Amino acid sequence: MASVISAALLAALTLAATPALAADSFLSTVHRHTMLASTVPANGDQNPYAVVVVPVSSGKLHRGDVLVDNFNDRSNLQGLGTTILAMDPATRGVSTFATLPRHLAGCPGGVGLTTAMAVLRRGYVVVGSLPSSDGTTATKGPGCLIVLDGQGTVAAVLAGADIDGPWGNMAVQDAGARATLFVSMAGFGVGAPGQAMVRRATVLRLALDVPAAGAGAPAVLGRTVVADSLAEQADRSVFVIGPTGLALAPDGTLYVSDAIENRVVAIPDATTRTGSAGTGRSVSAGGLLRRPLALAQAPNGDLLAVNGLDGEVVEIDPATGRQLAAQWVDADRAQTPPGSGDLFGIALTPDRRGFYYVEDENNMLLLAH
Amino acid sequence: MGGCPFGHGASRRGFLAAAGTLLAAGAASAASSPDMSAAKGVTPASQGEGRLLTVPFEGRHQAGIATALQNHTCFTAFDVTTTDRAALIDLLRRWTAASRRMAAGQTAAPLDEADLSRPAPDGGDALGLAPARLSVTFGFGPSLFEQNGHDRFGLARHRPAALAELPNFHGDQLQPARTGGDVSIQACADDPQVAFHAVRQLAQMAYGVAALRWMQTGFVANAAATDTPRNLLGFKDGTQNPIAAQPVEQTASGTITPGSYDDVVWAGADAPAWMRGGSYVVARRIRLSLEHWDRTPVDFQEQVIGRHKRSGAPLGKDSEFDPLDLDAVDHDGNPVIPDNAHVRLGAAASNGGAQMLRRSYSYNDGANFTAERWPPWRQAVEWDAGLLFICYQRDPRASFSRIFERMSKFDAMNQYATHTGGGLFACPGGVTTADGYIGQGLFEA
Repeated sequence: MASVISAALLAALTLAATPALAADSFLSTVHRHTMLASTVPANGDQNPYAVVVVPVSSGKLHRGDVLVDNFNDRSNLQGLGTTILAMDPATRGVSTFATLPRHLAGCPGGVGLTTAMAVLRRGYVVVGSLPSSDGTTATKGPGCLIVLDGQGTVAAVLAGADIDGPWGNMAVQDAGARATLFVSMAGFGVGAPGQAMVRRATVLRLALDVPAAGAGAPAVLGRTVVADSLAEQADRSVFVIGPTGLALAPDGTLYVSDAIENRVVAIPDATTRTGSAGTGRSVSAGGLLRRPLALAQAPNGDLLAVNGLDGEVVEIDPATGRQLAAQWVDADRAQTPPGSGDLFGIALTPDRRGFYYVEDENNMLLLAH
Repeated sequence: MGGCPFGHGASRRGFLAAAGTLLAAGAASAASSPDMSAAKGVTPASQGEGRLLTVPFEGRHQAGIATALQNHTCFTAFDVTTTDRAALIDLLRRWTAASRRMAAGQTAAPLDEADLSRPAPDGGDALGLAPARLSVTFGFGPSLFEQNGHDRFGLARHRPAALAELPNFHGDQLQPARTGGDVSIQACADDPQVAFHAVRQLAQMAYGVAALRWMQTGFVANAAATDTPRNLLGFKDGTQNPIAAQPVEQTASGTITPGSYDDVVWAGADAPAWMRGGSYVVARRIRLSLEHWDRTPVDFQEQVIGRHKRSGAPLGKDSEFDPLDLDAVDHDGNPVIPDNAHVRLGAAASNGGAQMLRRSYSYNDGANFTAERWPPWRQAVEWDAGLLFICYQRDPRASFSRIFERMSKFDAMNQYATHTGGGLFACPGGVTTADGYIGQGLFEA
């Protein structure tokens, strides 16, 4: 929707909310927003969530393509989306990488694809399901993690007592034959809309043994809860609010967007710790943040958090917690404030000079560059 | 929508000419009718002499297509329940006769006032009402020809290629109970009771042969007024359906002017013989999120539509009928009419010259619980009101489907609009003889 706003207006909106745009920030190098493609597949699924860049060509996966999944079905019911699309940035052509069945053996509650999605270097796609049968959490199931091969065929389904509502964008440490996934769980103890907030959300670390493409399915070597007691709440409008963004720094610190508390927290030694760090250490709170959702890491090491309650992306220095800049990438004034509820997933481009993001209000994939 | 660019309709000049002709006809019938309004000493505008106008039922084209827009409509769709071809033809004959009578301001069938022991052949709810320019327009849906791959009534081989099922469009929320149908009957009149009376009588005549599937009423602000009427969004709607001027679109590649009825509306030599002089109608019930719209800043509404709200002028222009300049840019090089503005996406210049005749109405079905489809996904009892979009064209594949395929993806209006029902119907040419019936060419092909 950025395209409906003139550049001048966009700038005015941005400046109004961001008195100081740090000159050396990553966001200060991003000036243009290009509408790439519609994310509605043939079956009519809506509400794009996860945005992931494919790191390797394998089967139907092509390096550099952008995968997007949908959380809603064609009736716009949340928790019933089953599709993953692939967009070729060179042509902007979109194909359907996978259409999953609504019900999958071993996935309690069915399939409703979330922001939790990763593509491994050996050509496997891992995607989370937080399913519903009526579009609300009144009928939610725990869901699962679904592993697809490069052809988009289900290779494995992961569920268990430590998996309930895999929700936020995954952080990944991928060495090929070994991979570590971090995924937030926003389903524990979540009931029907109207229920009070509960502090039962977790972050689960999964260590995987990954075979070569076409040689079976990844096996789980270890599963460790590295964060817990994070806030989560059923919501009539947006299904569930909980930890939605994960980003792993090279030093092993895991950053988590704590949406309800309107902050970003840090989980130290996330790749090696043997127990939970609880809710971690608060890194940055309030300020320009308005319900932070997905997180990405800019090439300068800063965190990029997309806001759920306006159309801004906020850049945070994780060392100091200082909020360096914000850019109103979705200034759609059909919402108040502009862009509220529109943003969700975010992913850096392969050249790390821009980022892909989705606009949920019009089912679009866009490029900021 | 304001300047909703779906095609081009009856011109004001054309309307006035037609009105002159019809007024003469109306005057003749008025001479034999009592002047009830004067007798009662009350002459509300709704009972003015315009209500005495009639629209001839017979003609090469069916009435209700090129006819100047009446103020009210009842759009109905029927399922044919019989498998008896002869019974269907008989119904079409009876529908034709009744429609001919009602268009002339008569009851659907002669009333036998001497015998009140039986149901009357007309409900009587239009007794004493003027004809009010009633038109009754019939159409045949794809499912009349074939259903689940099976031929119906021996008609499959006569199904026009242009009567292909509409594709699924992005965001479609079509409800089966409001969608499709074997036969459409649209009654239009300047009096809502006259329009409803017509479809009600026709439905009653169909018992045992066809059953009502869905019905949608609609209204427009006084269509005969000199100003372009405003729709429920508060924007002038129909600017590019020329009323007083011939609007044009300007682009770098040249100027586009409205096509003729033969170019745009009437099925031609490429259509089966029974469809020549006919047209294909697409109806869509479009729920508009008026609560959402009313909370939207006016200048953003104007960006969504691509026109100024008060004047109806294209963005950056001063008056309603200024040409739509799709190439205009501001000092930063951004388009003055945004890329996803409704008028741009619907403009012929944006669609390879595709046009259609738009003949839409607003609708208001009260209020009910709904979950909005856009952030912040408000859920509440909201107005069930919007647009009964209706367009006519010689080939919907080249017009509506081509235009709406892009609109359904990119139109900024999509944040406020949900298509909840509708249908596609082939409206054959009109009845030209006293003993002819609607669709005769199809059934005798």
